[in-house]
Amino acid sequence: MNQAESILSLRDVEKTFAGHCAVDGVSLDVARGEVVAVIGPSGSGKSTMLRCINLLEVPDRGTITVDGTDLDTSGTVSARDLTQLRRRVGMVFQSFNLFPHMTVLRNISLPQERVLGRSRDEADRRSMELLERVGLQQKADAYPAKCSGGQQQRVAIARALALDPEIMLFDEPTSALDPELGLEVLAVMRQLADTGMTMIVVTHEIHFAATVADRLIVMADGRILEQGPPQQVLDDPQHARTRTFLSAIKDR
Amino acid sequence: MDVLPIIVAAIPVTLGVTAASFAIGAVLGLALVAGRRSRWTVVRGLSRSVVEVLRGIPPIVLLFIIFFGIGSGALRMEPFQAAVIGLGLVSAAHLSEVYRGSLLAVPKGQFEAADALGLSRSTTSARVIAPQAFRVAMPGMVTWAISLLKDSALVSTIGVAEIMSVTNQHARSSGDGLMPFILAAAVYIAIGTPLAIWSRWLEKRFARIRKAA
Repeated sequence: MNQAESILSLRDVEKTFAGHCAVDGVSLDVARGEVVAVIGPSGSGKSTMLRCINLLEVPDRGTITVDGTDLDTSGTVSARDLTQLRRRVGMVFQSFNLFPHMTVLRNISLPQERVLGRSRDEADRRSMELLERVGLQQKADAYPAKCSGGQQQRVAIARALALDPEIMLFDEPTSALDPELGLEVLAVMRQLADTGMTMIVVTHEIHFAATVADRLIVMADGRILEQGPPQQVLDDPQHARTRTFLSAIKDR
Repeated sequence: MDVLPIIVAAIPVTLGVTAASFAIGAVLGLALVAGRRSRWTVVRGLSRSVVEVLRGIPPIVLLFIIFFGIGSGALRMEPFQAAVIGLGLVSAAHLSEVYRGSLLAVPKGQFEAADALGLSRSTTSARVIAPQAFRVAMPGMVTWAISLLKDSALVSTIGVAEIMSVTNQHARSSGDGLMPFILAAAVYIAIGTPLAIWSRWLEKRFARIRKAA
């Protein structure tokens, strides 16, 4: 891939938990506007790799480059660099993690006020715009507990988008949802991909990976096992390990 | 029954000792729990030791150390001041543990979401974590206030003229050793019961919020 057009690069990123190497020297380049789906068995390090990108896990070694700004993670990362990084990278979690004591609207507006310095009016306007986009403007004044899981996840997506990120990370966004509720979240993600957002999606949703992603990455044991256009990886996997994993998720 | 007006007149002193100690404890407890969650090992260890020591000493011993020990030497203290400092320190240690437990009850995902959104440490604490932790801490804080109300009887030993102190004096001078203390007990119950009901109500309300979340 052409270095100049890549918006995100990981170089030899390594993360060890209590002697267990969760991410074992992963390098990855993602182009602007690319949608990358990451699959793999649990414990393969895919979530940890994702969490290394916005430094929710600080890698033991390796470099992370977002839009030309390098972060060497082996030293201490300064608070300024961290803020800069997180402004550009949004994240959506498996468990939504909305703030339960705030209304849907406050959930989306507060970070804009605090991180981007927007006024309350400005922030609320942007929040309502995004709520409309995810089809939830009628839930603005509801508390998260009064929303279904699928609705909460769509609010969480709106909350991340409100900070105008350049890259969106999704950590198994539909794994905690009933299949039906998962669909409405996937629809929002599909729409987001169509707008040209750069997305990295850790998922078990093979159909989504096959139809929306530009590239499919298979991880195992903390490494990238293989990657390529989704159809190619799904139809003609190169590694026995990939074949085993794919048959396990396809033949159910 | 002529002791009752004397006891009632002493209620403000009991409430004063309780409220002032609680206020000191509530604020110092925050400092202690912040220390226990500090980045620096030394601060964590120090805060932990302070909590262990304060919780390890019987309150009455601490009160005597402060009033008769420190208070008779360099720092002259009124009994009321010594009482409030002593019970305030005990409260700080206890409430810091209540706070600590309530912080552990806030899901890790809340901290992570705040981090991922780029919220500063202070915004995360004040706007995201504290409001959630406070709901969990409330019943425990009220329970401690009730204990403190009862434990404030201890400060009669250093000469604060609160309920226990005036009751005891009256019992000695009148020779009636039963009635005054039964009345005092009734007064403590009368003050403490509304607090207990409030605490149970808070607990129930919190359980409901947790179920809904």
